[in-house]
Amino acid sequence: MCGSKGVTRLLTVLLTIIFLSALSLKAETLQILTYEESPFALKVGKTHKGLLVDMLKELFSRTDLQYELKFIPLKRAIITTERMPGHCVLPVGRSQEREASFHWISPVLVSRYGLYSRDDVIIPLTTLSDAKPYKIGSFLGSGIGEYLTDLGFNVELASVSAQNLRKLKRARIELWAAELISAREQMLKQAMNFGEPELIFYTSLRAMACNREMSLEVKLKLDKALTSMYRDGYMSELYLEYGVEI
Amino acid sequence: MLFLFLVFTSFAVTAELDPKSNAAEHWVHNEFQPSTLTLDEQMQEMAWFTSASQPFVGMKIRVVSERIATHWYEASTLAKAFYEITGIHVVHELTGEDDVIKKLSAQIMTRQNLYDAYINDSDLIGTHFRSNAVVSLSDFMQLEGESVTLPTLDLQDFIGLKFTTGPDGHLYQLPDQQFANLYWYRHDWFNRKDFQKRFRSRYGYELGVPQNWQAYEDIAEFFSEDIKEIDGKRIYGHMDYAKTDPSLGWRMSDAWLSMAGVGDKGLPNGLPVDEWGIRVEGCHPAGASVERGGALNGPAAVYAVDKFIYWLNRFAPEESIHLNFTQAGEWPGKGLIAQQIFWYTAFVADLTKPDLPVVNQDGTPKWRVAPSPVGKYWQAGMKSGYQDAGSWTLLKSTPLKRQQAAWLYAQFVVSKTVSLRKTLVGLTPIRRSDIDSEVMTQRAPHLGGLVEFYRSRGRDVWTPTGTNVPDYPGLANYWWQYISQIIEGKVTTQNGMDNFAAAVDEHLALIADNNGISCEPKLNPKSTREFWLEKTGAPKQQITEQAKGRTLQYEEAINVWK
Repeated sequence: MCGSKGVTRLLTVLLTIIFLSALSLKAETLQILTYEESPFALKVGKTHKGLLVDMLKELFSRTDLQYELKFIPLKRAIITTERMPGHCVLPVGRSQEREASFHWISPVLVSRYGLYSRDDVIIPLTTLSDAKPYKIGSFLGSGIGEYLTDLGFNVELASVSAQNLRKLKRARIELWAAELISAREQMLKQAMNFGEPELIFYTSLRAMACNREMSLEVKLKLDKALTSMYRDGYMSELYLEYGVEI
Repeated sequence: MLFLFLVFTSFAVTAELDPKSNAAEHWVHNEFQPSTLTLDEQMQEMAWFTSASQPFVGMKIRVVSERIATHWYEASTLAKAFYEITGIHVVHELTGEDDVIKKLSAQIMTRQNLYDAYINDSDLIGTHFRSNAVVSLSDFMQLEGESVTLPTLDLQDFIGLKFTTGPDGHLYQLPDQQFANLYWYRHDWFNRKDFQKRFRSRYGYELGVPQNWQAYEDIAEFFSEDIKEIDGKRIYGHMDYAKTDPSLGWRMSDAWLSMAGVGDKGLPNGLPVDEWGIRVEGCHPAGASVERGGALNGPAAVYAVDKFIYWLNRFAPEESIHLNFTQAGEWPGKGLIAQQIFWYTAFVADLTKPDLPVVNQDGTPKWRVAPSPVGKYWQAGMKSGYQDAGSWTLLKSTPLKRQQAAWLYAQFVVSKTVSLRKTLVGLTPIRRSDIDSEVMTQRAPHLGGLVEFYRSRGRDVWTPTGTNVPDYPGLANYWWQYISQIIEGKVTTQNGMDNFAAAVDEHLALIADNNGISCEPKLNPKSTREFWLEKTGAPKQQITEQAKGRTLQYEEAINVWK
């Protein structure tokens, strides 16, 4: 019986160690929050796909860190990340207003923005100022729409980005301001082809924002892995798979 | 046959150049006036651009800068002119200065060619010369860039070259625009006899341009708490901003501590201690904390931060604590502010617009700029304030052909053909020849003292961040994060600055270990505060006595610059 008691005690200790290890592993699993934005991140049934999904998989494979990817609306994702340790959200614009609230891993996304005209109309644009006389389509909440509005351009905001293709086709706007990768995706989806943009006028770097309690050690691991992905050409190849150059 | 081929080729090239030559003539006559060059000289300079750019015709290059009037002019007008004269298409992107730094850092980190050139503040010179990521323009102009370097560039005509040269003697950046941080005040209010009498009877000296922080404080108190209202409107003796935001960091890091007298003597930056309280030994940063020979948490730095908070809370508009740099910039134009100790001349163009309450009917301003007052630790021979020198920067990770095309555009927008016109648009001068021109003499009465400043030695003693800051992008965030904790009352000023200095020391140690940079940090061992405070120079012992306020009349005050 003594022996039996010993085995039981040993089993209990082992189970406790396994349980604590699992808990510890769970504690080290970063919760990565994102939102549906094709073709960067989208849910297809129970799987996730997109440029950012591929990028995250590669990023964490170059570290010993674990992660879980969840889709929730951007605003909620930002608030959750700000309040809850162990959470990160991407892609997020790294603005001065947000700088103080997070630790930043960047750039996770290099976005170029262009101005598209109808396929049967050429609007020669040497500089962005040449677009001043034209009505430019963007959508509510779009950073590039705000950028152009602040610079005094005539911007018309649709409620969602996809509406701009129909507006451009029907000449309700003369130029459409869009991010190159998502513009390509939307043109494919709606079977409209406006060709190449008249002018690629802005580059934005988007980042992964993490809760401020993230340890310096974890941040440095992610920074190092991300840097290596750019330097060894992984990121350039990934962008080419989605039809654009960085 | 060869002869015929050469004749044909020559004819084809000439035919191709003609539209560009016509374009040059159009732009020279219709836009690039006035100029310090004659029309012929301007046309010769443009012909060089047309010819030198031949190998690059049809290229599209991408450059980025912060969003001020000068760069808007470049992005919208000069980029178009350059395209028509050279055939090189430039997308000149405008964004926030913070974003410019992040993009430049991202290109260095990722080695992706995000942009072909950056107009980046010379505050990063300490980072650039150490990084091995930035092209030495001195070498470039003699080697790979020789064929695309403008013979009439006239480097010695640039007033800001000292700010963009590393301790190794190499030029890393070419100045594109400059603006200074000067004292700004309501000249019309200061000249009112009734105010002068009241001030004299209360403080015992004349109301005038303050020469030290005590006088600034007395004048702030006088307008905020004695005068209080002018024409029925609440007015304020001081303006500032303190929102928890990166621009709070610039407020302090742009020489606020230097003006208080935290550093040592030396121009453009004090040695061995100046910018950000960082000590250098040789070219190696040796520490920011007093314990390692720095001055970031020394008595002078604590005095500087304490005064910032005291003036903000007592004399500035109630809203100011919630404002950032851009939002606060609009306030002096409202006609409610009597003075601002540290005001960016980038706002001169905005504050000379007709119909503003601070502009007279004849277009002359009711305000003036003058040398900022200095704190009680400041001594003659130290820098007197901050000057921003936005400067062209090429990165080694940009392919050579793209560097060369971008270098052509960079030289075009600072060329003598263009620069006087650009100076009149944005009021951010870079060339001595423009500043000394007759045109600027005629404009001077409309610019509130700006021309007088740039014609004086003031342009040499108002200086950007120096070479002792080895990682500007990495360290810049510390400023607003640690200062905001003090402003919010979470820690005392001394404790907050102790934490700040310790964090900077830690960062210096980290970059020394992690990067193969030249002139890397070599931290001094920790000693007692007394060990360093008892030595001469910075860090300086506490000065307990109260200085008496000193003022000068405007004409005398700006004589200091001569």
